[in-house]
Amino acid sequence: MSIGRKDVLHVAKLAELAVSEDELPKLTEQLGRIVDYVAQLNEVPAGEQAPPYLAGPDKVTLRPDVVAPVPLARPPADFAPEFAQGLFVVPRLGAMEDQ
Amino acid sequence: MSAVELIASAVREGRTTAAVAANEVASRLEKTAALNASLNWSAERLEAEAARVDRASPSDRAKMPLAGVPIAVKDNIVTTEQPTTCGSRILEGYVSPFNATVINRLRAAGAVIACKANLDEFAMGSSTEHSAFGRVKHPDDPSRVPGGSSGGSAALVAAGAVPAALGSETGGSVRQPASFCGIVGIKPSYGRVSRYGLVAFGSSLDAVSTFGRSVDDAARVLAAMSGHDPLDATTIAQPPLVLDPPRRDLKGLTFGLPAEYFPRDLHKGVRAGLDRAIKAVKELGGTIKEVSLPHTRYAVPTYYIIAPAEAAANLARYDGVRYGQRRVGPAGDLRALYQATRGQGFGAEVRRRILIGTYVLSSGYYDAYYRKAQQVRALLAEDFRRAFDAGCDMLLTPTTPTPAFKAGEKTEDPVAMYLADIFVCPVNLAGLPAVSVPVGRSEGLPLGAQLIAPNLAEARMLSAAAALEAALDAAAEVR
Repeated sequence: MSIGRKDVLHVAKLAELAVSEDELPKLTEQLGRIVDYVAQLNEVPAGEQAPPYLAGPDKVTLRPDVVAPVPLARPPADFAPEFAQGLFVVPRLGAMEDQ
Repeated sequence: MSAVELIASAVREGRTTAAVAANEVASRLEKTAALNASLNWSAERLEAEAARVDRASPSDRAKMPLAGVPIAVKDNIVTTEQPTTCGSRILEGYVSPFNATVINRLRAAGAVIACKANLDEFAMGSSTEHSAFGRVKHPDDPSRVPGGSSGGSAALVAAGAVPAALGSETGGSVRQPASFCGIVGIKPSYGRVSRYGLVAFGSSLDAVSTFGRSVDDAARVLAAMSGHDPLDATTIAQPPLVLDPPRRDLKGLTFGLPAEYFPRDLHKGVRAGLDRAIKAVKELGGTIKEVSLPHTRYAVPTYYIIAPAEAAANLARYDGVRYGQRRVGPAGDLRALYQATRGQGFGAEVRRRILIGTYVLSSGYYDAYYRKAQQVRALLAEDFRRAFDAGCDMLLTPTTPTPAFKAGEKTEDPVAMYLADIFVCPVNLAGLPAVSVPVGRSEGLPLGAQLIAPNLAEARMLSAAAALEAALDAAAEVR
């Protein structure tokens, strides 16, 4: 299998996603199967080429670059978990602040 | 006359009111509650929506193409009046401070937003079993799935609760459930419809798409919300879609049959359904041409690298800081908050995809997976281009490899679930328009055929789909 427990813990940390010990074996097995499955793309010869695929219109139409108020039906305080004095409130960053 | 035009013309001409149509839908939503397909609706809200149409002056109402037409909206399209959950605990109770452009356009066209519709969490799934609010049941057989991820929208249209619905596609999430439920599902060209207010999953793939019980129903809703949007720079600078009148025949049109979509081991019922569609094309004067799309077998692995990679980036915003649910981790600091919020807020399939997406983008693996997938995506798009350049006006394929499967059959095997999208996800990778049309039933379960057209050729594709629809008895068993 191309992916192990250590890899899962590593990407979970990169993705800021808590993964419990209980779910690790099943998750590792399932992710391993997915990675093995998608790895079949390596069968496609490197020499097979096509013009690079670009999603979207050939020409992107941009809005004028002007600052305008965003019309919101309700203010951030109504949907933020914690909001005070015009700011989103979060806990301290922990270890990084201590260094 | 289609259901959408029947309601809209009656409301426009004053033969009925939007309130009457809304009242009928409220009663139908109650009757279909056991499907678990609708989310966040109320009779009062429906009444208020209808009143907006009924209050308009007769001259304004006469210009509304969807006057009084009730439409269900997949719950990953934001609305200010009710919560937008994306089928996830992480957004439970969240009410958007703005409306999606498609909602504003449908309302301007006279439509009534009937309800939000259940979905696979963040539109990730092929069965609508991965919703925090429970699975959606197939209207014809509750032990089966309606397909996904727009399974709630599909089930509501198939059960007759609403005449049309919005879904979204990233890898076939409208055409696949349309096929499973025996209705029509249209995926427009990438950029044809604004995604402002569609919760982002795979940004190079996502497309707001439509369901109807007929081609005409789904097409009218699509046309009303299409066109360039200054709030979405990925929309094509084109006026709204103008529909062609339905064709009576298919003379002068060539339909390509890609060999890779008709493998020897294709489900017998699906094969028989396609044989029926091919026969109908010939009887209507169309030409059939065999073609090859040689990279088709790489579409699902390509999709399951690109879509999770984009999802991992798009879903980074759900961190418990600005909106949605917040969980405080054991360490009590900011990283613990992120990890606990995301770890507990996302369900199993979303977590798997975030982890896969992060893995394929991580240092040391990017070239082997993500870069390779982008190269193969270009080859897949080139396959389609060659088929169209060889004289095909459109391609005719099965929509799904099997009819609707049993609930629980694939939930423990993600790869088996992913393969349910094998005939639909190549279209998303190439950004093309496509439509699934019912062609009959196998052992009582609906079957769909798919038409795939060149970029921006929706009008011709839909007029051909309407001709095919008229020629086929979708309720009849295939043999």
